[in-house]
Amino acid sequence: MADTAVHTADHGAHGAHVTSTGLSNNKLAMWMFLGSECLLFGGLISTYMLYRGRHGSGPGPNQIFDIPLTSVSSFVLLMSSLTMVLAVNSAKRHDDRGTNLWLVATGLLGTVFIGGQVYEFTTFYNEGLGFTTSLFGSSFYTLTGFHGVHVTVGIVMLLSLVGIINRSRIPGDKAEVVEMIGLYWHFVDVVWVVIFTLVYLIPA
Amino acid sequence: MDRSESNVRTLGRKTKQYAWLAAGAAALLAGCAKDAPQDTFRPAGPNARDIDTVARPVFWTALVVAVIVVVAVGYAMWKYRDRGQDIPEQTHGNPKLEIALTILPAIILAAISVPTVATVFKLDKKDDTACIINVTGQQWWWEYDYPTGKCGDVEITEPIVTSGELVLPIDTPVLLRITSRDVIHSYWIPRLNGKRDAVPGRLHTLRMQADEPGIYMGQCTEFCGLSHSRMREAAISLTMADFQTWVDNQTAEYSAPEAGSLAAIGESTYIAQCSKCHQVNGLANADGTPVLADPDQYVVSGVAPNLSKLMTRTAFAGWTFDLLTEECRDELWRAPSAEFGALYLQGVYMHSPDGVATPCFDEARLREWLRDPTAMKPMFADPTNLESTGGKYRGMPNLNLNEDQIDELIAYLLDRK
Amino acid sequence: MAIIERPSAAPAVVTDDAAPAVVTPSAALGIFHRPVASTGWKSWLFTVDHKKLGIMYGVVAMFFFLVGGVEALLIRLQLAAPDNTVLSAGLYNEMFTMHATTMVFLFVMPMAAAFANYFLPLQIGARDVAFPRINAFGFWLFLFGGIFLNTSWFLGGAADGGWFMYSPNSSALFSPTNGVDFWVMGLQLTGIASLVGSINLIVTVLNMRAPGMTLMRMPVFTWMVLVVQFLLLFALPVITVALFLLSFQRNFGATFFDVNQGADPLLWQHLFWIFGHPEVYIIILPSFGIISEVLPTFARKPLFGYKFVVFSGAAIGFVGWGVWAHHMFASGLGPVSVAVFSVATMLIAIPTGVKICNWTLTLWGGKLQFTTAMMFAIGVIVLFTIGGVTGVTHAVAPSDTQQTDTYHIVGHFHYVIVGGAVMGLFAGFYFWWPKMFGKLLNERLGLWNFWLMFFGINMTFGPMHILGLQGQPRRMAVWPDKLTGDGFFDLAFWNKIATLGSFTIAVGVLLFMINVFVTARKAEKAPLDPWDARTLEWITASPPKEHNFDSIPTIHALDEFFHRKYEEVEVDGQHKLVRVRTAEEVLAAEEAKADAHIHLPSPSYWPIVLAFSLPIMAYGVIFNLMLLVAGSALLLLAMYGWALEPSVADDSDYDPPADGGSTSKELATHG
Repeated sequence: MADTAVHTADHGAHGAHVTSTGLSNNKLAMWMFLGSECLLFGGLISTYMLYRGRHGSGPGPNQIFDIPLTSVSSFVLLMSSLTMVLAVNSAKRHDDRGTNLWLVATGLLGTVFIGGQVYEFTTFYNEGLGFTTSLFGSSFYTLTGFHGVHVTVGIVMLLSLVGIINRSRIPGDKAEVVEMIGLYWHFVDVVWVVIFTLVYLIPA
Repeated sequence: MDRSESNVRTLGRKTKQYAWLAAGAAALLAGCAKDAPQDTFRPAGPNARDIDTVARPVFWTALVVAVIVVVAVGYAMWKYRDRGQDIPEQTHGNPKLEIALTILPAIILAAISVPTVATVFKLDKKDDTACIINVTGQQWWWEYDYPTGKCGDVEITEPIVTSGELVLPIDTPVLLRITSRDVIHSYWIPRLNGKRDAVPGRLHTLRMQADEPGIYMGQCTEFCGLSHSRMREAAISLTMADFQTWVDNQTAEYSAPEAGSLAAIGESTYIAQCSKCHQVNGLANADGTPVLADPDQYVVSGVAPNLSKLMTRTAFAGWTFDLLTEECRDELWRAPSAEFGALYLQGVYMHSPDGVATPCFDEARLREWLRDPTAMKPMFADPTNLESTGGKYRGMPNLNLNEDQIDELIAYLLDRK
Repeated sequence: MAIIERPSAAPAVVTDDAAPAVVTPSAALGIFHRPVASTGWKSWLFTVDHKKLGIMYGVVAMFFFLVGGVEALLIRLQLAAPDNTVLSAGLYNEMFTMHATTMVFLFVMPMAAAFANYFLPLQIGARDVAFPRINAFGFWLFLFGGIFLNTSWFLGGAADGGWFMYSPNSSALFSPTNGVDFWVMGLQLTGIASLVGSINLIVTVLNMRAPGMTLMRMPVFTWMVLVVQFLLLFALPVITVALFLLSFQRNFGATFFDVNQGADPLLWQHLFWIFGHPEVYIIILPSFGIISEVLPTFARKPLFGYKFVVFSGAAIGFVGWGVWAHHMFASGLGPVSVAVFSVATMLIAIPTGVKICNWTLTLWGGKLQFTTAMMFAIGVIVLFTIGGVTGVTHAVAPSDTQQTDTYHIVGHFHYVIVGGAVMGLFAGFYFWWPKMFGKLLNERLGLWNFWLMFFGINMTFGPMHILGLQGQPRRMAVWPDKLTGDGFFDLAFWNKIATLGSFTIAVGVLLFMINVFVTARKAEKAPLDPWDARTLEWITASPPKEHNFDSIPTIHALDEFFHRKYEEVEVDGQHKLVRVRTAEEVLAAEEAKADAHIHLPSPSYWPIVLAFSLPIMAYGVIFNLMLLVAGSALLLLAMYGWALEPSVADDSDYDPPADGGSTSKELATHG
């Protein structure tokens, strides 16, 4: 707002920025949301860590995890962070074509990851680990399921973004919206790194 | 100004009210309670006394701090009321004063925390235990089980299973091992110790020790569902000799009712109606096979109170309903500690020199219970509505007994002494 | 959406004609256009104005206050006599569960949100919150969530596990009705509402302060609300996890709290109290903020030790995370944890003590005016102190094992919540009513209101300390005659006094309602600055215009408004404070430099639609999967509607008429 800016300039506090912190509202809000999400996953991970050894007569983590397969899908997800960075870069350069391309690529990589998760869940289920089988089963599916839902929501947002960019429906700064969703996407990736380490790599 | 005048008046009222509250609190802290059976400020054993020792000064400190603040606020309200004076200086504070006012409470709290931490560890000691009793909560009663072995000077040769009343020898450090069979309960005898939750799947310990023979009332204090308010308990402390007598009686052989008596008919009624859930030790079928209760099949928690020695207790059904008449109950509660043990060991046979008449037995109440337990104590026991529990009860259902059956059962149960 | 965020070069549409263009915003994809009506019921239903939303929060929270109050009265009636039969055991259990849930989640929190919504932008010199639509969504979701939760009374019974809902008593085996499901879903819904609200307010405070409004010049109320929003931000996800675990167990057969599978029931307790203890400060801090505004105003001097109050508030917020297990001293944590949490709990008494000292010292040397608002604020100091010192007696863990789950605790936390939080909210009503509605609440009725509540609180919750220390446990549908002692310790007597007290409080609250009614009917307008107030929200009309400030004020000091009215002059060698300007003059000076362009967000259909879809899904989880599908479809539609509707684009800019006519009215035609 013009007026605010003038006053701000009067005080020489923030120069050209119109928000008090200099961060845009959207980005600040996304950071806050992700801070909150940390506690959500913190709670789920704690629950899993408490219960991962309690599998009763059902299969336990050591019997069931297929580390090579999950490593591959983890790698795919990590690569999607790279394509996300490229998408943000293109958006900043106002390169709509490039943005779209990298957004689609990110979405596809995410979809591959989700596909891997669906495959993994199906295999585990067939090996006797249901959602209700044991504490291990319930907490494993809940934790990884929550993460899967987050990835899925991310994919939906990415693909919606593609459609919207094409129709030029984004109000305000396109690059910022891409960047915001990028923040979310990186966060989900980082959470997966933590989950992969704690759940799969560290033996129970 | 009208407003400030009215405030002076109200201020007077307020001071009076707090003087009154302070007096009340002082009386409370002085511990001059009469007959409040769950008074937390009247310790009757070393553990509760440890708590009392650390808590009492804290209460006094709290009271003094509250009074200081209230008086300061009251004084300021009077002294600085609007009397048309100039607008005061716009002072923004006084860092030195504030730092002082931060450090002062910090010192008080540090002083409080030292004995607090010491007491926490003291109350957790287990190395002096002279007797172990297992305490198990379930909806809505407590079961005690005394494992074989030494309890103080007394050798328990056969496990004792009882409910409602925790019987322990005086001056003996007893360790309760507490758990639950269904939801979380909390065991609490205020005059002997603080409370400890009974959590299914976990074993918690609680020290118990009484100085004098006597009866100490308690209550389950973790909300445990429908009849939480009717899940009570008591601790009975006896001299070592009396405790020996109690143990001997609890472990005594089954006394079959005299053939042909009403109680003998009652025995078969009992076997038909009650023994599915309630164990009576030593009870046998006509063919001599032992009658074994199988409550697991009928009750969610998997147990029902053991009735082998029902009439040695003073109350039933989660220690909620008295077996004693009101007068006898009062007499027992008021008995001097030297006479308490003798009275208690008679159970419902108090004042019954021939051992047959039971002037102290409140038959009406037990009768009412047998007619329909759910009318006296809300329980999850509607046979038409048990889908959520897979057909099992939580509590005791109405057995639809007729009056004759009830007569027989009471006669039989009166023999469980 | 954010109005302040527009780049400064943006006065793109400087139209030539001076007449305000009534704009119909462009429609995107046909149905996704923005509503333009801003009068009548539609102006409330689709509003994104933080002031309207604040008022709606207040009205709805007040309604739930009455609901929770009636529940409280029923509880007290049941406990008035031994073995009473007003309520059955089952109904009693539902009653105290819902009383606590309603009061905490549907009254105190949203009432604080009402004040925060209304006054936070005003106090920092903003024209709205950062995300007006999300703000509206938060309100509607709270309303629908509250209604959803309470429909359980009519759909098979309310939750009966206590507001702490300990497992395994909350599992389907032990609580077979749908009550707990309603409770879980209801809290999830209101939780989402609070979460989005907290993000919104944090961004608003951090990003949208007027020029010169540094953090350390912010009014204390804004500060306390900011701390509360951070607590919400980090506490809510934890209870969200707990609620998910419980609903997965109840609805989908998960095993999280199934002891037979080896589950540990303490998991729930830890998750619940990691949320639950910050929740205590979420409840109390807004009230601390309110009285930190009221006390200086009527003492006519600044808050004593502003920095200490702010930092102690933040310290309470931090330490509040490290004390949750003091709710579990009897749970069997082991002596080491108990000792640690015991000491940590004492630690939190220090910043709390700082606050009480500072409030008292604010009165010291002042020129005290005992308005109703002031009396409520002083009432908070007194009652909260009592609640605070009894709190220290529980911090001493061995002492707490005697007191936990008794009426002593009930007395303690009601002094804190009713005496501290609720009295503070009432101080806020009387203080800010003229600002919100342009009329003063009746002071005579107000003082009656205060004294009845003050005495009522002491009568109700004072005796509870005696009851608890004499061993009356809480959450008991009946208490036996056997429990009572003689004379001073006749618990039957104190139970009756407590019941009488609760009705005294009810009469006090009734007087407030009457006061509101009487005030609404009277014509007399309040003066612009009835209290000679100190902070920014008073440098605007009462009630404020839709855009809050004609020009965004520039801030030079803490207590900006006071410093514009008063200046220090030297009289006979002494410094003296003299009033140099009236409030009207201050306001006129601001209005004289009214902004040429004011961007206000347009109303929107989608917040209410989006909020409506969620309870449908929740009913679906409980009753019928088809409903879940229908709700999800609506959810998707609303989300896309939200994302695709046109923002407040350039074409809804508004230029005030050149002739200086009333701006607010014309703004309202296309807001």
